[in-house]
Amino acid sequence: MKWSIIRVGIMTMFMGVATIVLGMTDDDREQRRAERHQRKLQQYKSGWNRLIPKYQNIQYAGSMGLLSLGVGWDYGKKKQWETEIMFGLVPRFSSNKAKVTFTLKQNYAPWEVSLGGKWWLEPLVTGLYMNTVLSDDFWVKEPEKYPSNYYKFSTRVRFHIFAGQRVAFDLGPHSPFRRITAFYELSTCDLYIISSATNKYVKTWDILSLSFGVKLHIL
Amino acid sequence: MKRAILYGIILFLCGCDLIEYHPYDVRLHGETDINAKNIARIEEICEGKDTLRFVLMGDSQRWYDETEDFVKALNNRDDVDFVIHGGDISDFGLTKEFMWVRDIMGKLKVPYVALLGNHDILGNGMDVFLEVYGKENFSFRAGNTKFICLNTNALEFDYSHPVPDFTFMYNELQDTVGCLRTVPVMHVQPFNVEFNNNVAYGFHALLLEFPGVEFCLHAHSHTLLHEVLFDDGIPYIGCAAMKDKNYLLFTLTLGGYEYEVVYY
Repeated sequence: MKWSIIRVGIMTMFMGVATIVLGMTDDDREQRRAERHQRKLQQYKSGWNRLIPKYQNIQYAGSMGLLSLGVGWDYGKKKQWETEIMFGLVPRFSSNKAKVTFTLKQNYAPWEVSLGGKWWLEPLVTGLYMNTVLSDDFWVKEPEKYPSNYYKFSTRVRFHIFAGQRVAFDLGPHSPFRRITAFYELSTCDLYIISSATNKYVKTWDILSLSFGVKLHIL
Repeated sequence: MKRAILYGIILFLCGCDLIEYHPYDVRLHGETDINAKNIARIEEICEGKDTLRFVLMGDSQRWYDETEDFVKALNNRDDVDFVIHGGDISDFGLTKEFMWVRDIMGKLKVPYVALLGNHDILGNGMDVFLEVYGKENFSFRAGNTKFICLNTNALEFDYSHPVPDFTFMYNELQDTVGCLRTVPVMHVQPFNVEFNNNVAYGFHALLLEFPGVEFCLHAHSHTLLHEVLFDDGIPYIGCAAMKDKNYLLFTLTLGGYEYEVVYY
């Protein structure tokens, strides 16, 4: 390629860009900046909006507290996946203090069957949750005073598995809640499974924990 | 829908045991204060007896089936006055574990007392122990023999909680009138990592102040032990864990003591 052709090309590009930039008025520039700002703001808001919990839930018992309150998010093609966080309260009973617990719960509800009208049945809901006692009397890893591997487990964090069922009722668009769901669950935790697996004496029934709850769908 | 609600209510009513607020909730039901009740029975059974026969077992922990077999084996004999559970009733300190062992041991025909083990202190297990069994340090008389049962799980506590509790031991020392023999019982023996070994010699010296100490008893090590720990000929005798399916049968007579390992 001849040098003269390249030179002409570069000159043309430079003049074109110069024409666009110099040809803009201050108003145009201001408007472009405002649009860009709006777009950014929109992205930012919709990003955080996605984090707004879709529903609130209350759960009674279930080895995570006498009563646990929390919020949850449903997602997936059929909204079959749910993630919940909850805080629970365990009264002191015969111990020396009451306990507050935190639960991270993952649900899987693959089916939803219409019961006619506004009623729905979710015939199987299953999943797992991790519960931690918010108290220094319980430890995640045994304190350093112990020889290593002395107890080999955490008194503070329990892992639970559960299965249950739900009934839901649609309240319609202008109600405080879009839908209200009642459920029950049967659960058990890691240390109970170990105890039952190694002993005939500890029956499955002995290690099950029954809970009830309500989900209030807002979004 | 109505049917579903009805089934739900029935399930709830049938399964109140199914309601659990937390594995460490210490929500107790059933018998409590077992040691005090059984000590009254032991003292009554052994009153005026010159020969005592008792069983030392311990570390039932997660061996529920084996503990159940132990109870069956012991109920088949009628020559034992009482049983001492040397501690580690539970494995994780969970409330339910204490309930399970209490229900199993409750089927014993003879009375039993239970000591506090280090595993029983995990989480808030000690709160369960205090409610279901009673004090961490206690003593009783069987005939003219004094049994002094001590919490020696020092590693689980700090200095604000004396383990072993010398004040308790001094006070017990003032109550030895008419006592010909003393049997100290503990979960952890001196020189174990769980024991407060800074006071091991002082602890042993204070025990020897009691009348007629010929041997000391412990559990914890999960193996049969007979060790003289202080060069004075006094053995510390330890029972195995329930998984080994044996217990120690002690016979105390005016002339001395003997023990045998009984497998079941």
